Amino acid sequence: MPINATPKDFYFFSELLNRKIYTPEGECLGRTMDLVVDWLEPYPLVIGILARKGFAGPAAFLHWSCIIRIAPQLTFSPSAASVGQMISPGPDTVYLRDQVLDKQIVDTFGAKVVRVNDIQFLHRNSQLRLVHFDVGFRGLMRRIGWESGLAAALRWMFAYEWPDTFIGWKYVHLLSGPGPLQLSVSQKKLSQLHPAELADILEDLSGHDREAIFHALDAETAAETLEEIDDPRLQQALIETVSIDKASDIIEGMSDSDAVDLLADLPQATAREILGEMEKDRAEDLRELLVHPDKTAGGMMTTALLSLSPEATVESALKRWKEEEPELDVLYYIYVVDSAGVLSGVVSMRELLVASAQQRLSEIQTSRLITAKLDAREDEVVDLLTKYGFRALPVVDDQDRLKGAIRLRSVLEILAPSGG
Amino acid sequence: MKTFLKSIADPERPLWKNISLFFLLMGPGIITSNVDNDAGGITTYSLAGAQFGLKLVWSLIPIMISLIVVQEMCSRMGVVTGKGLQDLIREKFGAKITFYLMIGMFLTNMGNVISEFAGVAAGMEVFGVSKYIAVPISAVLVWAMVVKGSYKSVEKVFLVACVFYVSYIITGVIVKPDWGEVLANFIHPNLSLTPAETTMVIGLVGTTIAPWMQFYLQASIVEKGIRIENYKFARWDVIMGSVVVHVVAFFIILACAETLHKSGVQIETAKDAALSLAPLAGSYCTFLFAFGLVNASLFSASILPLSTTYLICEGLGWETGIDKKFVEAPEFYGFYSLMIFLGAGIILLPGMPLISIMYFSQVINGIVLPVVLVFILLLVNDRKLMLHHTNGPVFNTVAWLTTGVMIALTMVLLVQSL
Repeated sequence: MPINATPKDFYFFSELLNRKIYTPEGECLGRTMDLVVDWLEPYPLVIGILARKGFAGPAAFLHWSCIIRIAPQLTFSPSAASVGQMISPGPDTVYLRDQVLDKQIVDTFGAKVVRVNDIQFLHRNSQLRLVHFDVGFRGLMRRIGWESGLAAALRWMFAYEWPDTFIGWKYVHLLSGPGPLQLSVSQKKLSQLHPAELADILEDLSGHDREAIFHALDAETAAETLEEIDDPRLQQALIETVSIDKASDIIEGMSDSDAVDLLADLPQATAREILGEMEKDRAEDLRELLVHPDKTAGGMMTTALLSLSPEATVESALKRWKEEEPELDVLYYIYVVDSAGVLSGVVSMRELLVASAQQRLSEIQTSRLITAKLDAREDEVVDLLTKYGFRALPVVDDQDRLKGAIRLRSVLEILAPSGG
Repeated sequence: MKTFLKSIADPERPLWKNISLFFLLMGPGIITSNVDNDAGGITTYSLAGAQFGLKLVWSLIPIMISLIVVQEMCSRMGVVTGKGLQDLIREKFGAKITFYLMIGMFLTNMGNVISEFAGVAAGMEVFGVSKYIAVPISAVLVWAMVVKGSYKSVEKVFLVACVFYVSYIITGVIVKPDWGEVLANFIHPNLSLTPAETTMVIGLVGTTIAPWMQFYLQASIVEKGIRIENYKFARWDVIMGSVVVHVVAFFIILACAETLHKSGVQIETAKDAALSLAPLAGSYCTFLFAFGLVNASLFSASILPLSTTYLICEGLGWETGIDKKFVEAPEFYGFYSLMIFLGAGIILLPGMPLISIMYFSQVINGIVLPVVLVFILLLVNDRKLMLHHTNGPVFNTVAWLTTGVMIALTMVLLVQSL
C-alpha cells in the first residue's frame, strides 16, 4: 500500500464514535453517531459526521470540512468551511455505523464472509479516508475497550505483539450497499471470484444478503455458481427468488446434468414454466433427460457433446469443435457415430491435434469402446470412470446408440464429498 | 416471482396437500419444545409437584401463553430477516452489548449443560450405573456425534424416544387424581410469594421459556429456509410444540403432586424422585421416569452446547460450522469442547448435588430471560427490519408483561434473600 504515514495518522472508527464534538469556544455540540462516507476511488472519503445531542435529540449533519481538528478534541467550526469543498450526501453515500459496522461483508481477497469489528482511517491533509476494515479479535476488543489492557498484558507476559486482522478497502464487497455505482464496482470485485468461492460465500450468508449477491451476478456466473452449490435445497431456494425469465437463462447456462437435477427438485409447474421460456432445442434435450431417474447413467449424463460421422475429416472436426465450443459440456472427446446413431468410436482432443488435417475420424478413432448403459447405476459409472481415468464416459441405449456422456466432474462429489 | 408464489400458497389447494406441506415444514417448533423438557425441566416440574402439590399448577397457563408469544416472535423474525437472533442483536446493538450478552449466555448455558449431564448421572443411577461411567461415556458420545456429523440421523431416534413422555401422562392418570381439585387449582390462582415459591415460579418460567431456546428456534427456522408465504405452517408448529410442552409439564407436576406431595416424601436427588414413585405408582414408573430423564438429557446435551457455540461465535464474528476443520475454526471447536467437557467434568466431582444443580440452572434461566426478551422485543418492533411484520398490540402486551413480571419476581427474590 503506497502510504508512508506515521501511525499517528491513523484513526479507528471506535475512537471517533460517541466522541463529544466541541466548538472552538468549548461548547459541546453533541456526540458522533455516525460517519458519512463518499464511496469513491481511490479511498472512500469521510464527508461528514452525524451528531446527536443527548440521548434522543435530532441528528445533525456536520460537514467534515468544518472539522478543524480531531485531537485532543473533535472541534467543529462552521466558519472554516470553504464552499468548494462541500460535498453533500449523494447516491454513493454510505453511513458507516448504520450500514457497515457490525455487519457482514464479503472479503473478496480471502473469498469469505466476515463481520466488521472496526474501521481504520488515514488522516491526511485534514481529510479522513477509509483504508482498512478490521475483522479481527483485536478490533473487537478495541470496541469493547479492552484492547490496550490486553495488548499490554500480552506484551508483558509473552512478549507477544498482538496482530491486527485488516482487509483493504479494495477487497471488500458491502452487502447493504448504496447506489448503482457502488454496485457495479462491487460486481467487478465479485466477478473476479471463482464460482466455487462464490458458492461458499452464498452458503455462508443468510436470507436477503444471499439473494442480493445472487441477483447481482450475471446469468452465466449465476449458472456456474449454482453448479458449485452442493445443497439442492439452497439451489432451489435461490432459483425461486429470480423471475422465470432469468431462471430459464441461468438454467440454460448450466450443464445438462446439473440443470436436470435442479429442475427435478423444483415444483413441476415451475419447472414446466422455466422450460417453456428456454430455447426449444435445449428445452427438448432437458425434457428427455428428465425422464431418466436420478442416480442412473441417464440421469447423470449431459447431451452437450460433439458427435460426428466417421467420414468427417480432422480439419472439419476441429472447425465444428471451435464453433460449438461455448455450448459443449464434454470438450475433450469427439464421439464418432454412424448414420443410425450407433457409437462406433471415440477421438480424444489429443489424437485430433496430432493427426494430419485430411485424415478421417474413422482412421484415428479408438474403436475399443468403454460405455455405460442408460440404466447403469451410479456406482458402476464411478467405477468405470476411475478405472479408466476418462474425462467423460459415453452413455448408450440397448441398441448401442449414443445418448450422452457423463463427465468425471459430475462424479467428483461422489468421490470426494468433503471437497465442498 | 408471482407465479412462484401462486404455486406455493394456493388457497384452492386440496386439504391433504396443505397437510403434507405442514409436515414438511414442521420440525423446529416440535424439536425445540421437546428439548425444552430437558433434565432441568423434568426436575423443576417434579420439584414443583413434590414441594407445592397442585398449588402452582395454574401458572402453566400464563407461561404457555407467554411461550407461544415469545417463540412466535422469534420464528417470525427468523422468517422475515433470514438471520439468527445473535446476528440481529449484533447488527442493531453493536459489539459492546453483544459481547457482554454473549458472556452472560455462555455462563447461563454452561449451567444448563452441567444440568444435562446431571440428568444423565441421576437417570443412570436408577439403573445402577455409576456416574463415573455414565457421564464420561455420554460426554464423548455427544461430542463425537456432533463433530463427526452423525447427529442428524440420531436426532430422529431422540425424537421418537420422546414418545415416552406419554408415560408421564399415563402415570398422571393411574395415580387417580381428584380432577375437581385439579380444576379448582387452575381456576383459583394462588401465590404467597414466600422465597421458596418465588424461586419455584422463576424456575418454572425459566425452564419453559429458556433464553437459549429462543436463539436455537430462530436458528432452526432460518436453516430450514421457511418463506413468509409458508409462515402460517411454521406458526402452527410453534403453537403445537408449546402446547405439548405444557401437557407433559402438567402431568409431571400432577404425578409428583399426587404421590410424593400427598405422602410427604422429601426428595433430595432425582434418584429419590424416581425411586419414591415406585411404591406409590408401580416400579415401571421408576424406570420410565429414569429413561425419560436420560433421553431428555442426552437430547439436550447434543443440542445445547452446539447451539451456544454457534450463537457466541456468530455474534462475535468467528468462523463457525462443523464442516470446517479445527484450524479453520479454532474458537468454534474450542468453545464446543470446553462446554461439553467442563460440563461433564463438574458433575464428576464427588458429592455434587445433582438436583440442586438442575433446579438452580433453571432459576438462572428465569432471571436472564427478561434481558433476552427486551432484545427480542426491540428487534421485532423495528420497522426497518421487520417491515409490516412487527408485533401487534396484543403480542407486545403479553411479551412486555412477561418481561415485567420476571423482573419483578427477581426483585422480590433479591429483596427476600438480603
